[in-house]
Amino acid sequence: MLNVLLVDDDSEFSDVVCHIVEFLGHNINTAANLAEAEQWFENNTFDHVFLDFMLPDGSGLHLLEHLKKIGQSPRVTLISGHPSVKGKLAEMCEANVGHLVKPLQREDIERVLNPKKASDKKKSAPSIKRHFGTLIGESEVMKKLYTMIERVAATSANVMLMGESGAGKEVVAQAIHNATECDGPLVATNCGAFSKELIGSELFGHEKGAFTGAIARKEGVFEQAAGGTLFLDEVTEMPIDMQPNLLRVLESKKVTRVGGTKEQAVNCRVISATNRTLTDLAQNNVIREDIYFRLAVFPIDIPPLRERKEDIPLLANAFLEQLNEENGTDFKWQASQLKELEAHDWPGNVRELRHAIHRAFIMSDPKGTAIVLPESLESPFSKVNKETQNNQVMAGQTIEEVEKELIHATLDKVQGNKTIAAQMLGISTKTLYNRLNAYGGIGEYK
Amino acid sequence: MNNDESLRKLVHDARAPLNRISMNAELVKLVLENDMPKQKALDALDKIIANCQQCSEQLQLISDTHASE
Repeated sequence: MLNVLLVDDDSEFSDVVCHIVEFLGHNINTAANLAEAEQWFENNTFDHVFLDFMLPDGSGLHLLEHLKKIGQSPRVTLISGHPSVKGKLAEMCEANVGHLVKPLQREDIERVLNPKKASDKKKSAPSIKRHFGTLIGESEVMKKLYTMIERVAATSANVMLMGESGAGKEVVAQAIHNATECDGPLVATNCGAFSKELIGSELFGHEKGAFTGAIARKEGVFEQAAGGTLFLDEVTEMPIDMQPNLLRVLESKKVTRVGGTKEQAVNCRVISATNRTLTDLAQNNVIREDIYFRLAVFPIDIPPLRERKEDIPLLANAFLEQLNEENGTDFKWQASQLKELEAHDWPGNVRELRHAIHRAFIMSDPKGTAIVLPESLESPFSKVNKETQNNQVMAGQTIEEVEKELIHATLDKVQGNKTIAAQMLGISTKTLYNRLNAYGGIGEYK
Repeated sequence: MNNDESLRKLVHDARAPLNRISMNAELVKLVLENDMPKQKALDALDKIIANCQQCSEQLQLISDTHASE
């Protein structure tokens, strides 16, 4: 169920839209002009705003500016009476702003309020099973993950998701939220994206006038996620001196807005995520121990893609199916291409796989059905990571092994030029030749 | 206001009753499809009739304005 605001000066139109939106199972409020709309936002948040382009006291675009100022970002559908404005609106519109042209139909409203449901009606049922509506994979490690999600969903315990970048932490958070079948929403925020000054307001909200620029009261994410799930991504990137405030909320289950005095009860599950390892957390003092134990009541490790390679064909098919549906194409994988994808290591995990498939999709001829994979599947990041990993010194290596690796890496860097390599290594050319003779690798650099 | 702008404004104003007609017709469909109270559909149909009249007047205004230019 969504909270919807309709801003339109045509009261008869507003009345009938209210009937239809309520019938679709959502809450709706109306405003006849910009001033009324701004008033609604003083004490409320909305998931979706239908906004007439031309209002008695200004353009609908003024409300968009106002929403930016007060830090609210509901999905907005601009309604215009001029088909000619449609193109201009499309250029101006940001990702969360859509547009419709009058006269409207019920399907338009249904589609923008529930894009997934509306498009599902037109599509054939997807052939790949999505566990908890989101997760794809039938490997043993994923089955273990599904069991953990089922178990934790039956409780209200806080969950900490750990996994490499791109492994799908936000998707797992969505899966836990779906499996919980709670009434409230899933609210996601990235703790690494806010400055020390702003993170308090983002998490706990603020009262009007709490600080310069706080022109209206704002609900924090804890309040927004009431009855649902709060997803704190990159929680370990939160400034350490802000962590005691978070701990207080987690312990007391009460939140006080910045500049406020009244405590609000918090009743949401907190799912946090980090791409740091447990050792990293312990060694580098990025998260306080007391907060860790509050957040990681139930820690879940998300397996990297290389540990579930048998899921790659399923994922590749699901991504291609989605791209075909979005673009009206009919590309298909060949068995050899799926084998090629399966053979790759995907250090950037599912995100990298999805990106590579999207790139291949764009490069392929839309009139045909054959998808063309690039010659190399490696991304610039995976190349650099591999080089860094290759050059790492590991405990347990002998000095001789490290010296040999260093000499080879230096020679590779200077295309086998032994004089320059010797200078870089701080040894004479003769010594370099002697070492290469001893290691039996001189033939490679002749 | 030049002629083009004036025409655009008149067309815009004619689209408002059309928009109400469209949404009221959708409401009638909803009522019939979901066995809702009949009175809701009758009210919506009255509104459709009134808005058709309004739309007609608006189109006449466009026609008159266009003829006088």
